[in-house]
Amino acid sequence: MHKRHLIVLGLSAVSLVFSSAALAWNAERGQSISQVCAACHGPTGTSIAPDFPNIGGQHRDYLYRALLDYKLGNRQDPIMAGQVAELSRQDMRDLAAFYAAQEGLYLKR
Amino acid sequence: MEGRRILFAAGILALASGGAWALEGDPERAEQHLSACIGCHGIPGYRTAFPSVYSVPKLGGQHEAYLVKALQAYRDGTRSHPSMQAIAASLSDQDMADLAAYYARSEGGR
Repeated sequence: MHKRHLIVLGLSAVSLVFSSAALAWNAERGQSISQVCAACHGPTGTSIAPDFPNIGGQHRDYLYRALLDYKLGNRQDPIMAGQVAELSRQDMRDLAAFYAAQEGLYLKR
Repeated sequence: MEGRRILFAAGILALASGGAWALEGDPERAEQHLSACIGCHGIPGYRTAFPSVYSVPKLGGQHEAYLVKALQAYRDGTRSHPSMQAIAASLSDQDMADLAAYYARSEGGR
């Protein structure tokens, strides 16, 4: 194998490691930053009032998208806009992973 | 006089509740509109492809009031998703209440 090929292979491996780290869904870390969410959505995503959605058991990629949409203004809600302002994309992924791993919502035909 | 007083009280109540009277939803009446929902929300693992790819949400066991709020937000444009906005625009307030009742109320635990 040529030296150049080896370099390309090495760089690819490095970038793969970095990109998968960036895409990690860390439910444990999500739980550690979920206290503020729990005030309305409950500690495991079963909310305290009917106006606030249940989020326990929801798909993680949907939850992430919802948080991102609040941040981007695609979804407008004064409460959630304030909540997501300080969240990074990694925070949102980790929170989504935590609530997705809880019991609650189910697919209904 | 008494009638006017009652009207006045009713007006204050309506204002206090944001003018939105919660309609009673009927899960059975939802059947006529369910065909618009099940093609996405009733299929395990289904993903929306536009504007980006992600799983459509599970609706079973969701709060009735929140589901109505979500549909209204799509209709009002405060929540963006092209197909959901189009579907919500075709629903009356009563339709929304019925669909919300259908998804929120569990049958035999599920």
